Amino acid sequence: MSLTKVSLIDIVKKQYVYKLKAYSQVFISLIFIQLLAVFFSLNGVGGGGISSGSIQINVSYFSADFVVAFTMLWGFITAIVITTKTYRIDDFIFVTNRASSNLSNMVFLLIASVIGGITAMLSTNLIKVIVYYFKSDFALKSTTVMDMPMEFLIGIFSTILYVFLFCALGYLVGTLVQISKVFAVLLPAAFLGGLIFDGLSGKTGVIAKVLGFYFTESSLALFIVKIIMTAGLLFIGAFALSNRREVRT
Amino acid sequence: MSVIECQGLTKAYGGVKALNNFSCNIEENKITGLIGRNGAGKTTLLKIIAGFMKETSGDLKVFSESPFNNLTVSANVVFIHDQMDLPTALNLKELLEVAASFYQNWDRELANRLFDYFSLSPLQHYEGLSKGMKSTFNMILGLAARVPLTLFDEPTSGMDAAVRQDFYRALLKDYLAHPRTIIISSHHLNEIEDLLEDILLMKDGKELLHMPIADLKEWAIGLQGKTAIVDEWTQNKELIFTKNIGPDQSYVVVRNNFSETEWQSARIAGIDLTPVSSSDLCVYLTSKTKGGIDDVFNKG
Repeated sequence: MSLTKVSLIDIVKKQYVYKLKAYSQVFISLIFIQLLAVFFSLNGVGGGGISSGSIQINVSYFSADFVVAFTMLWGFITAIVITTKTYRIDDFIFVTNRASSNLSNMVFLLIASVIGGITAMLSTNLIKVIVYYFKSDFALKSTTVMDMPMEFLIGIFSTILYVFLFCALGYLVGTLVQISKVFAVLLPAAFLGGLIFDGLSGKTGVIAKVLGFYFTESSLALFIVKIIMTAGLLFIGAFALSNRREVRT
Repeated sequence: MSVIECQGLTKAYGGVKALNNFSCNIEENKITGLIGRNGAGKTTLLKIIAGFMKETSGDLKVFSESPFNNLTVSANVVFIHDQMDLPTALNLKELLEVAASFYQNWDRELANRLFDYFSLSPLQHYEGLSKGMKSTFNMILGLAARVPLTLFDEPTSGMDAAVRQDFYRALLKDYLAHPRTIIISSHHLNEIEDLLEDILLMKDGKELLHMPIADLKEWAIGLQGKTAIVDEWTQNKELIFTKNIGPDQSYVVVRNNFSETEWQSARIAGIDLTPVSSSDLCVYLTSKTKGGIDDVFNKG
C-alpha cells in the first residue's frame, strides 16, 4: 500500500473543522455566561439622581461591559479547557502532529473570539430590549448602530482582540499546568499575591501597570499591534513548551 | 522493504524501563502478532511507533522516518487501543465522517456496512457504549482507515466470542483485498494464530522471538514420561518448561532439535512426544521461572 502525503495546512484545516464540531460545548457555555452577564447588567453599571422639589431624576447607565468582561473570562477558561488531556488526545485519534494540533487550536480560539466578541457587543441590544419591556418607568435614550457605525465596528473589533488576548493567555497557562500541576497553584498564587502586594504598598504595582498597558491604549493602531504581538508571543511560548509533549493515555 | 526498523530501543518511565534495548524489523504487508505478558512493553512499543511518545534512546524508523511529531507517519498509521477516548460531542456517524475526512483511503462503504452489521446506532454517543461495543467501533475505525500500517492494541478487549470471530474474519478478508502491514497485540494467541504470519514475542521490554508462526509450532516439543528417563533425555537440551504430573511422571518442554533417529529411540524408551501449542509455548517462554506458578507453592 503506498504512502499518502499530507500537508500541514491541509491537516490544520481538517482539524479546525473537526474541532468546531467536537468542541461545540464551549459555545453553549458562551451563551450561558453571556446571559448571566446580561442579567447582572440589568441593574445598570452606574448612575445617579438629582431631585429638586417635587421633581426627581434618576439616571442609570446600561452597557455591555459586564458581558465583554465575562466573555474575556470565558475565552480564558475555554483556552485552558482545550489544553487538558481529554481534548488534547482527541487530536491523536486521527492524523496529527503537535504543530498542527496547536495551530488548529489557535485558529479555533480565534474563531471563538470572533463569535464571542460579536455576540458580546450585540448583547447591548438584548439589554435595551429587556430594560425597555421590564423596566418600563425608564425613558430610554440610546444610540443606535447606524448613528455611529464606525464606533460600533471598532468596538466589535477591539472586543474580539481582547477576548483573543485572554485566549492566548489561557492557552499558555493551560499548557503550563499540563506540564506540571505545580503551576495550577503557582500562577493563581502569584497573581493574587501580586494584587494583595500592590494593594498593601498603595502604589501602582506591576499588575495594574500591565492592565493599564493593554486597557488604556488610545491609539487603535498601537492597540492592535500590542495585542497581536502579545498574543503571538503567548502562543509561541505554548507551542514551544508543548512541542515535545508525549501523549499518555 | 521494512516498514518498521528499530535498533536498541529503550523507553524509561522514571526508573523503570518499559522497553529495554528492543530491536526488530517488521516487513511490509505482513500480519504480525505482538505477544507478551502484561507489562512486557507491548503498548509502549506501539505508542512509540504511532508517534505518541518519544524513545529514551535507540533508533526507530517507521517508513524510514522518525515517527515522533511526524505528520507523514501519522497520516499512514492508525493506532487502535482499548483506552481510546473519542470526543463526546459527536455521535457515532459524525465520528465516522470525521475519520473519513482525515484518512485519504478511508473506505466509507466498508465502514457503513460493518456499522450496520454490528447494529450500532448512528445517533449513539461513544461514551454511552459498552466496553465490547467501543472495541467494535474502534475496530471499524481501524479497518476502514485502510492505512499502510495498522496497529491494534488489545482490539478484542470486552468483545464477546462471536464478535471476536467476526472481527478476525473481517480483518483477514480486508487484508486479503488490500494487503497492508498490521500489528496485533493480543492475549488470545490461540484465537489469532491462524491469522498471523509472524509472531513477535516480548519479555521484559526485549524481543524474545521473532519468526513465522509456522516455525513456532515446530520450535519446541513436549516430552512426557517417567521422570528419570525424561531427565536423561533432556540433559543437554534447552529446558523451557518442566512440570511434575503425579508421582514419578514429568512433562518437560525443550527446544526441538531432535533428529529423526533420536525421536524414534525416545519413543521406544517410553517417552510421549507431543507438539506444544503456540499459545502454551508463549506462556512458558515468557514466564519468570521454569516451573510457572507451581514454583510459588512448592516450597521444597
